[in-house]
Amino acid sequence: MTDVVIAGYARSPFTPAKKGALARVRPDDLAAQVVRRLVAQAGIPSKDIEDLIVGCAFPEGEQGFNVARLIGMLAGLDLGVGGVTVNRFCGSSMQSVHIAAGQIMLGAGEAFLCAGVESMSRVPMMGFNPMPNPALHETRPGAYIGMGDTAENVARRWRITRADQEAFAVASHRKAAKAQAEGRLAAEIVPITAKGGPVEADGCIRADASAEGLAALKPAFQQDGTVTAGTSSPLTDGASAVLVCSDAYARRAGLTPLARIAAVGLSGCEPEIMGIGPVAASKKAMARAGITADALGVVELNEAFAAQAIACIRDLGLDEKTVNIDGGAIALGHPLGATGARIVGKAAALLAREGGRYALATQCIGGGQGIATLLERV
Amino acid sequence: MAGIRKVAVIGAGVMGSGIAAHIANAGVPVLLMDIVPEGAADRNGLAAGAVARMLKTEPAAFMAPRAAKLVETLNVEDHLDRLGEVDWIIEVVIERLEAKQALYRRIDAVRRPGTAVSSNTSTIPLDALIEGMPEAFGRDFLITHFFNPPRYMRLLEIVTGPRTDPALAATVADFADRRLGKSIVRCKDRPGFIANRLGIFWIQNAIAAADDLGVPVEEADAVMGRPFGIPKTGVFGLVDLVGLDLIPHTTRSLRAALPAEDAFHASYREMPVITALIAQGHTGRKGKGGFYRLNRQGGQKTKEAVDLRTGAYRPSAKADLPALKEAKGPKAVLDLPGRVGAYAWRVMGPTLAYAAGLVGEASDDIAAIDEAMRLGYNWKWGPFELIDRIGGAYVAERLAKDGYTVPPILAGLDGKTFYRVENGRRQVLTAGGDYKDIVRPEGVLRLEDIKLAAAPLLKNGSAALWDIGDGVACFEFTAQANALDEQVMALLGQSIALVTERYKALVVYNEGTNFSVGANLGLALFAANIAAWGEIETLVALGQQTYQRLKSAPFPVVGAPAGMALGGGCEILLHSDAVQAHAETYIGLVEAGVGLVPAWGGCKEMLARWQSNPAMPKGPMPAPAKVFETVSTATVAKSAEEAKDLLFLRPTDGITMNRDRLLADAKAKALSLVEGYEPRKPVSLTLPGPSGALALRMAAEGFARRGIATAHDLVVAGALATVLTGGEADPLDTLDEDAILALERASFMRLVWTEATLARFESVIETGRPVRN
Repeated sequence: MTDVVIAGYARSPFTPAKKGALARVRPDDLAAQVVRRLVAQAGIPSKDIEDLIVGCAFPEGEQGFNVARLIGMLAGLDLGVGGVTVNRFCGSSMQSVHIAAGQIMLGAGEAFLCAGVESMSRVPMMGFNPMPNPALHETRPGAYIGMGDTAENVARRWRITRADQEAFAVASHRKAAKAQAEGRLAAEIVPITAKGGPVEADGCIRADASAEGLAALKPAFQQDGTVTAGTSSPLTDGASAVLVCSDAYARRAGLTPLARIAAVGLSGCEPEIMGIGPVAASKKAMARAGITADALGVVELNEAFAAQAIACIRDLGLDEKTVNIDGGAIALGHPLGATGARIVGKAAALLAREGGRYALATQCIGGGQGIATLLERV
Repeated sequence: MAGIRKVAVIGAGVMGSGIAAHIANAGVPVLLMDIVPEGAADRNGLAAGAVARMLKTEPAAFMAPRAAKLVETLNVEDHLDRLGEVDWIIEVVIERLEAKQALYRRIDAVRRPGTAVSSNTSTIPLDALIEGMPEAFGRDFLITHFFNPPRYMRLLEIVTGPRTDPALAATVADFADRRLGKSIVRCKDRPGFIANRLGIFWIQNAIAAADDLGVPVEEADAVMGRPFGIPKTGVFGLVDLVGLDLIPHTTRSLRAALPAEDAFHASYREMPVITALIAQGHTGRKGKGGFYRLNRQGGQKTKEAVDLRTGAYRPSAKADLPALKEAKGPKAVLDLPGRVGAYAWRVMGPTLAYAAGLVGEASDDIAAIDEAMRLGYNWKWGPFELIDRIGGAYVAERLAKDGYTVPPILAGLDGKTFYRVENGRRQVLTAGGDYKDIVRPEGVLRLEDIKLAAAPLLKNGSAALWDIGDGVACFEFTAQANALDEQVMALLGQSIALVTERYKALVVYNEGTNFSVGANLGLALFAANIAAWGEIETLVALGQQTYQRLKSAPFPVVGAPAGMALGGGCEILLHSDAVQAHAETYIGLVEAGVGLVPAWGGCKEMLARWQSNPAMPKGPMPAPAKVFETVSTATVAKSAEEAKDLLFLRPTDGITMNRDRLLADAKAKALSLVEGYEPRKPVSLTLPGPSGALALRMAAEGFARRGIATAHDLVVAGALATVLTGGEADPLDTLDEDAILALERASFMRLVWTEATLARFESVIETGRPVRN
């Protein structure tokens, strides 16, 4: 079989929705700047690329139409490069990677740009016209359940205390703040041109996050709940992209692959506990590669909520030291459609940086799904 | 000077920053400057901090947060030369003559000649302020004394000196009147001007008399408040509001400035209890409480009051004074036997005498003194109006009997009253003993004046129709709290017929505190209690039909609200062709609060407004979602400006800053619409149907899980969602106005007989607030 590799990774700064520095940047412009830079960094002619596959969770308004095609044009890609928009909610841009890998193995192209974007400032969660199906809601109310309520369900069922969630959130901010201070995030960040000047740094990280500060917050979703704004990922604006290609192409084009895609996994679960989705998806991917969790040197587990992240770590038996080494979404932010490509790219980059043989990138998905990508050192 | 296009305020304390904010409210750019504190990191920090603080405090100084962008925060060290940009400089620095004069000299070096300079001093005479200043400075100088908080208090006292250029003073006064909405009272250059001189005298007497007669603070406030048309904070509650520390400060400067024979001195007394309270940090509501405080010890909130004798706090008890409740009018209170009557007289007797003594001293104009107390202290009646109510002879005799000097104007009253109505005009007594017409400032039109001179065109128990000239009629609500009922609708129907026949345009306006707080809930509860459901539904339908007739009438209709315009009061505005609103108008559809949905076309009109708003995303959901957000939470706009953001007002609707100019502006607006007038066409709406309703219900359920919405809130939200999403509509359908009105009626009737809704009615009627159920 053809080996598929991650040969490049870049992202925009992630900044808080509405009040952050990217709030007034159109999402198509935002993603185009990231894509353009990734292609330039790789130094490959864009006509080599088969398709631009863009994940987006609420593809409407300024991130509507077929935004992938428009991002390709804005980024100045060769008009021969295709463009397709993918929606698997939070798993959208990880799905982009999976589609590319499948296409490459099928012999349907050698190089793909897999990107993701979400402006949660400019397109609200649920979109502008939420119109749920009353009949489905009647028979399966969880189909449309709010994400915060799923986090409360997981916290209850997996007995994750509020204090544990808060300790987890503080650690996420500490790790991210340290990575930022030591310049370990700058390498992956593409400065974005905005009306108010260039935007170069992540905006959600709080170096001063403390357990006492978090303990003072009110529950965000349920009066008697344990999940607060501080233990949830913030609404975020951002874009990300990875270059996925065949190993042969990478060698021919003089690229240094970061990692090889060893296996992928996808699984549905009860929508009411969607946060546990990564467990089944990751197990599938590991089984397909014939490994167990103790073989993982690096894990990028999306922190939609501290409660579900802790539950997944426990159920998968992960070594916490390997999880989200440079901080997770609670600190960095979670621009829905952009997160998948970020954590695949980040896991690949960390594998190259930190050593170890296998890296796992996995995330939960609203509506009850999990998605996982298993990477191997090259 | 040509006009005022830019203003500077120097001094960013509570008053200065509040004045700057209010100038910004008028849409006028303003420079706010203060000193640079030693070692300050931000050299503009005092002004910038004041603006940031004002954006957080309630009641808000800004009418909309965006107004803050008009305030440029600067400092007097680096930016004084920028005073050359402005047309009016207002000095609001510390009340020390040397400090003010030193600043004036620096101002004079950089200002353009002819730029008005005014001081907001509350006690220093103008003469003293400009002593030693160049001639040209004196020509451009005046005192403009604002009251706190500047956005809300309508009084502006203006003092000019013999050197002040009258044209310049007139320009400032005109700006303050039309743009800032202030009522101008011209005062003589005497200490404390009018309102504070009399107000502080009254406060001082009220505190001393309470101490002498052993009257507890709650009782003092009950006696001094409502019976005399004074806000229910009375005296002690008022002092808590303005700050205890202000009292000795102002008293001291008044005592220093007033001549020895002034009665102010005789009534002065050391008040150790106040000194002690201030020393403990009990400076009033801004501090740890004052005469009253909320004790939060032990996790409970207990209201406490100070015992004036011991200075210690004790649990506060509402004054139980049945005789006071029985007493009709101020005179009856003064005549009450025992402590209550004695206290009322000990305070009001000398206060009314002192007011009479101010004629010729602080102002020659009796009406101006009354106006100053009405607008500066929110008294319903000024001191001379009070004397008329009590009886001049009674006051004079009782003063004489108690050994007070009776001021000549009171002694010489000889059976006359201070005010009278002659040939349909209100007149006031002059110091010379004659009467003169009360003349309104140019361009001011008051319904109360019109009503003195004419009979209504139509009238019943709840409404009236007036001819306000030039072919315009004015529809007035007249019931208690301007509540709306079947009679209002009946008269509105008749008025539409009459105006169609004989007039060009209609203005809906009144001079109550509130435009209307909505439908009469008491009547609705009564009807529900006797299960008169048919009658209730008939009234709902009548309101819908009448408002629809108003909307399609062949003449322009202009709504002119001030104060609260809630529920049905909001809905009549929504059906008008245009609105001219007073800046301090608080509009909202609050039906959800009492467990109902707007059903006089409010849902329909709000949907139409949001659906035709070009800024909204496409599709059937954005308009219902937006209206749901506003109406399900019973959101009330905190200013006319904010009402525009919520679309209770249209971008083209007008805002009048001066309450007294509202009717004239509304009438002008109505006349401007007459030529070529065509009634608005009925709207058609595309709505999402049940799937949209589900999305809205799910949002409400999220609020319930967070403990923000109650069980009955969800019932109400569900009924509202059904209306706003078009019931069983399919997004391919187009719904007409009648379809939405039918949904409004159906949801209203489904809610009105739920026990929880009726429980909300009852609690609103009893306590003014709906119970949370």
